[in-house]
Amino acid sequence: MTELVQNLIDGLGRGSIYALLALGVAVVFGVMHLLNFAHGELITVSGYAAYAAFSNGWSWYLVAPLIVVVSVITNLLIERIAFSRVRGSSEFTQLLTSFGIHFLVAAIFLMYVGARVQTFAEPGWIADTYSVGPVRVEVFDTVVIIVAIVTLVLTAAVLQRTMFGLSIRAAAADFDAARLMGVNSDRVIRGAFALSGALAGIAGIFWLMRAGHTSPTSGINPMLSGVLAALIGGLGSLKGAVIGGLALGLAEVMLRTWLPGGAAALTQGVVFSLIALLFIFRPGGLVNVAHAERV
Amino acid sequence: MATRSPVAAWTGNRRREAGLLFPSPRRDVAFPLAGAVVLFAAFVGAGLLYTLMVEGASAEKLITAMFIDAIMVIGIQIYVGNTGVFSFGHIGFGAVAGYAFAIFAIAPEDKYTRIPNAPWGLADVEMGPLPATAVALVITLIVAVIVGIGLGRSGARSGSVAATVITLALLFFTHEVAASWNELTGGERAGLTFGIGDTLQTRTPIYLALFAAIVLALLFARSSIGRLNQAAREDNLAARAMGINPVVQQTIALLLSVAVVAVAASLRVYEIGSLLPEFFFFQYTLLTLVMLVVGGRNGVTGALLGVAVITAVRESARRMGSDGYEIFGLGLDGNLDWVFREGLPTVLLGLAMVVFMIWRPNGVLDDWEVDAWLWRRFIRQKPPAAAGTAPEPDVLDLSASGVTVEFGGFRALDGASIEVSNREIVGLIGPNGAGKTTLVNVMTGMVDPTSGEVQLGEMGLTSEPSHSIARAGLVRTFQNLRLFSSLTVRENVEVAALMASVHRNGGTRTDIDAIVAGAGLWEQRNRRAGQLDYGNSRRLELARAAAAAPAFLLLDEPTSGMSDTESLAMVESVRNMAAAVGAGVLVIDHDLNFITGICDRVYCLDQGRMIAIGTPDEVQADAAVKAAYLGEAAQPGEDRT
Repeated sequence: MTELVQNLIDGLGRGSIYALLALGVAVVFGVMHLLNFAHGELITVSGYAAYAAFSNGWSWYLVAPLIVVVSVITNLLIERIAFSRVRGSSEFTQLLTSFGIHFLVAAIFLMYVGARVQTFAEPGWIADTYSVGPVRVEVFDTVVIIVAIVTLVLTAAVLQRTMFGLSIRAAAADFDAARLMGVNSDRVIRGAFALSGALAGIAGIFWLMRAGHTSPTSGINPMLSGVLAALIGGLGSLKGAVIGGLALGLAEVMLRTWLPGGAAALTQGVVFSLIALLFIFRPGGLVNVAHAERV
Repeated sequence: MATRSPVAAWTGNRRREAGLLFPSPRRDVAFPLAGAVVLFAAFVGAGLLYTLMVEGASAEKLITAMFIDAIMVIGIQIYVGNTGVFSFGHIGFGAVAGYAFAIFAIAPEDKYTRIPNAPWGLADVEMGPLPATAVALVITLIVAVIVGIGLGRSGARSGSVAATVITLALLFFTHEVAASWNELTGGERAGLTFGIGDTLQTRTPIYLALFAAIVLALLFARSSIGRLNQAAREDNLAARAMGINPVVQQTIALLLSVAVVAVAASLRVYEIGSLLPEFFFFQYTLLTLVMLVVGGRNGVTGALLGVAVITAVRESARRMGSDGYEIFGLGLDGNLDWVFREGLPTVLLGLAMVVFMIWRPNGVLDDWEVDAWLWRRFIRQKPPAAAGTAPEPDVLDLSASGVTVEFGGFRALDGASIEVSNREIVGLIGPNGAGKTTLVNVMTGMVDPTSGEVQLGEMGLTSEPSHSIARAGLVRTFQNLRLFSSLTVRENVEVAALMASVHRNGGTRTDIDAIVAGAGLWEQRNRRAGQLDYGNSRRLELARAAAAAPAFLLLDEPTSGMSDTESLAMVESVRNMAAAVGAGVLVIDHDLNFITGICDRVYCLDQGRMIAIGTPDEVQADAAVKAAYLGEAAQPGEDRT
């Protein structure tokens, strides 16, 4: 029982980070129908920015906002330089563009900073725990969950209460109709990328805190987690992305506990295959990605 | 009557089936074979020329790797190019084949050091490279069948997220299994290794496989299966309305493609002499995909061009990064150090991918193909004689009765019935939102009715899949044109004729050129459908439907967007087409002049119900029809399309 609660909290901690990443993936998918394989590169870029800041003696309190700012700016730049030029192209083209960016960013760091893993100090409290009855809770998980809840509430408020949020939701529901209704597509798409970048930045703070290092290839895992969670949740659905993130976090922790020794390394593959099976057996039901085609 | 020997009957059948697979032996077999020889000679020649100019073992290795990559990329091209379905998974299939090959082909004494405890006694298996390749091929094809069924069920089509996810899952799953199943694969770090001297020593098998891959890919693209795949790639829905079942065609393409990939993967492992999980993962996926899209994924020529160009670019980047740079003998000063350094090859790959997606998503050559070019260059065609009138077919009735369709709470059709015989042209009119297109959608299986029946003669068609209905003889056109836009005009018609010869008239060929000429499109026959002007596009859609040899043509607003003179010309076209193929016609249109000019009988639909039936004059005079058109009863709302 204690172990279950422990796992639950651990899973929610992970899941909160995934939820933020997945929400970022889903927001962009909603407005552009782009499954963004370059999403994890925001964490690579902000990881190197964090590393540079630490080298100059910055503390985590300064680095954390820096990570968010760098992530937003990077996402807007990527949109400006590449994605804005393939807008309206086939899904094939957009997907391969993001796939190319994923490798391009990693290779640029490989070229100019080197393949070496750059480490930086984790905050002092990262390993601290406190007890609630028989359960030991990590301070880190608690902070992550609280920040994620605050971020999600704020995001929900922006999406529900502002004009910008309304246009994003309208665009996610039916992009063409939203445009005909006078939604400025440039601004909505740029806004979506900024929002997606901010969410990735907040997730990135915790990702980097826990990892304590960055390397050219450190974008791949956050990218996969974000994309997988968004897929579980239904891609276009923002609420689904959050649920998908939590589900993925819990599933990872549970699978790691329950799968027999050697198979534990298969977690990602198993989760991926489960999602593939969902797509196979409920092509329309799981996700409303395949909008009914108009004849 | 003379009896035919069974052998003669059998060869006769074979010949007829081959005729169905390759409609024109000269164009679809002889020219592709000639094209394959040209491509193979050019590609291998370029590679060998390089090894002559740059001597040394590393140049030899580079070119060998390029030949193997070419086989791999052609394998991927067969699927991705023809179906348009994007696959991340082909390198995953490569991993399956690579490991199967290595586990069977490595000598037992070498296996004892790395994987002594391999399950099922695999460590003791001793097998030559050729049988090991065969085993790898079979195992990989079994995996491909399973994945293919999954892709089919998910409704994979050009641009579908489901296909991306399923194929990506395969890539990850194979990678994780390979990385963690240490007893079988040697795990992530040690991997598998051939004994010294046990690796591939000659290029002969590579040449054979490369030539075979080029021949297969070119023949497949020209075969009827390839063409049906290309049609479904261009427009999945229109392809189904033509009688094509994309799932079956895509699965065939997948199996062929995976077979080539499996051979390429076996050769790659055999040539490198060792195997680690990362050999068949993201990095190689990126490399092969860039090679595929730079030259043009829709053609074999493009794929080979991409392989050559990317190999050259990567190799120069690598050499300049490691050995310093010397361009045309000019030693440049150190101020370009920031460009030429480690990591440059991957940067260039990523950059090439992004730049090409932005600049030319279909690659340098797009679907330019050497055999098609030779054909256009050397074969001159004369316009054919016009098609005659088809012999009058047996009487057949198409009927829909009591059809009701509800979308949520909205009743688009409310017990509508209609009957058409194959000797007449029947019009269906009604104000916007009356449910006309919905009725055609129900009859062609694109919308399931809430209740009601569709019958063709004695055959029930209610809720059958679109492609079965098309094969039964109901072929439609679309209100918003749906041509196979990057196929040529003639190919659009040809695809329909292929379906007709397989499913409609038992192997007899339709005269494609006569239909193209009859539609007034002879001059444009080699242009892409996407480049036609509006009127010609409409005519092509009609010609394509006629080429499907339907018993009934269902035309959804064939004159939409046309001027009065063009509509009048359309009256003639529709009449001639119907007479030429002997089909009944059900036509929806707003243009009353067109409808009265062409129809024997007219139905009028309003708010989902039939409110009038009769000759054009009777219906025009009908009070209810007038009321519906003048608006008393008309409801705001768009046509359910």
